[in-house]
Amino acid sequence: MVMRDVAIVGFAETKIVERSAQDVWELGATILETLIDGAGFEKGEIDGMILSSSLTGAGNAFWSQNTAEFLGLQLDFCQTVDIGGCSPLGALARAAMAIDAGMCTTVLLLYADTAVAENNARLRSFGGEWTVPVGLMGPPGAFGLLSRRYEYQYGLDYRALGKLAVTQRNHAILNPNACEKLRIPLTVDGYLTSRMISDPIRLLDSVMPCDGASGLLVTSRARAQGKGLSRWVVPLGYGERTNHNAAQSLVDVTETGHSAAGQRAFAAAGMAPRDIASFYPYDDFIIAIMLQLEMLGFCKRGQGCAFINDMDFTHAGSLPLNTGGGQISAGQAGLAGGGTNLVEAVRQLFGEAGSRQVKNTANALVTGIGGIPLARNWVSSAVMILAPDA
Amino acid sequence: MPTPLNSTVEVKRQAPTPYSFSRPYWEGTREKKILVQYCPRSGQYQFYPRPVSIATGHRDLEWREVSGAGEIFSYTITRRAREPFRGHEPFIVATVTLDVGVNLLANIVECDEDQIRIGMKVEPYWLPLPNGMHLLMFKPKR
Repeated sequence: MVMRDVAIVGFAETKIVERSAQDVWELGATILETLIDGAGFEKGEIDGMILSSSLTGAGNAFWSQNTAEFLGLQLDFCQTVDIGGCSPLGALARAAMAIDAGMCTTVLLLYADTAVAENNARLRSFGGEWTVPVGLMGPPGAFGLLSRRYEYQYGLDYRALGKLAVTQRNHAILNPNACEKLRIPLTVDGYLTSRMISDPIRLLDSVMPCDGASGLLVTSRARAQGKGLSRWVVPLGYGERTNHNAAQSLVDVTETGHSAAGQRAFAAAGMAPRDIASFYPYDDFIIAIMLQLEMLGFCKRGQGCAFINDMDFTHAGSLPLNTGGGQISAGQAGLAGGGTNLVEAVRQLFGEAGSRQVKNTANALVTGIGGIPLARNWVSSAVMILAPDA
Repeated sequence: MPTPLNSTVEVKRQAPTPYSFSRPYWEGTREKKILVQYCPRSGQYQFYPRPVSIATGHRDLEWREVSGAGEIFSYTITRRAREPFRGHEPFIVATVTLDVGVNLLANIVECDEDQIRIGMKVEPYWLPLPNGMHLLMFKPKR
């Protein structure tokens, strides 16, 4: 698999804040400087840049070009990936493709969004005709519909979901980059009594919109070796699915594209779920983590809650999960938020996670979720397996 | 005792701006007709309106009037809403499966919290919009 010839040689992340006083390009500059200093690169060695979606950048048809201008980058490959919360993981896969195809050698992956401070998005979708007129409460409304249907088909143990919320919260308390407002202890009862938004979705099922940035520096394995670097992380397998079951009018909303994307990623890596050392699922809502456990084959469909009750997902446990707190307890940096769990996985594989460091760094599985469709599951699903290679 | 649910009929709603390919649906609501796209090659109905058959990619779609008989596929009780629904909580947003095999979103009127359930049969209830179009809502089938 050609992806294995690509090396992630650095990671960077700003603190996630409720509202950024710094411009989105200033956050981007911080990521750039941290990455080149950390990995020992000159800015001029970067010849590719891929941005995630950004609600701050969304009103600008020249987003990646303008960002390159403000960061002073001369590029042979420059683009934005716009598959919502899958964008950061999708950007990494596309960087691997671009490097393998010889388009460029060293890619800055920049995930920056200050949507709370400056949201420029104008969404053009089905919403104006079909969700706004009925008062659907955004993503919590859509996940309320999804949760109620899951409960009807399989039953839903809300205490198991609460266990996930508490595990992630305890991880955020150990993560100095997590949004300060969220770094307070939580109990299962605290989760269960949090304010109902779109029943059965509660406040503490949901991400809190925040501002922040993260990024990765990616080059070829040969160049990483040539520079004498001592460690890097490689993608072993990737799968992506947008608009799962697109041709059908009625779909099972408890089935996600992660079933297909996961199969592809596991096959490329030559692995099975039991081989995964730590897990970094995209978390816009707590139930999304459970659905991904089922879809990726960690447990059978309908058994997600029972599996959660059986497992220890803490950083010292049998399957460490979102050891930085996930987006739900670290804050969601807008459409750049998919970078949060990805960067945490790379940090763990570099062995730099400090008090929350996992013991088994053999590999990590990271996912993305992007977009909310009408009466379906979610729009995009992405799955990547990473491993250290040094 | 569950809180009584709001029918949302008092919410000040504007008629939506259709796309070129969804306009027939909205025009149909002026006469309280439910028009759904039908793909003759696959025999599949589809909703919401698309510029193409989601089954085949071809554009030879027909608009067919359907009865509106349906059942609840899922529902959420909105307890915190944005404008113009703020202050009208709690209310139901449901996914309704029509008997022709499509899902749509709608508010449910004349329905209490202890009455709503997945699988419940529903029938159309039309809410007038300011421009003469109607919004399709549903009520429990009596």
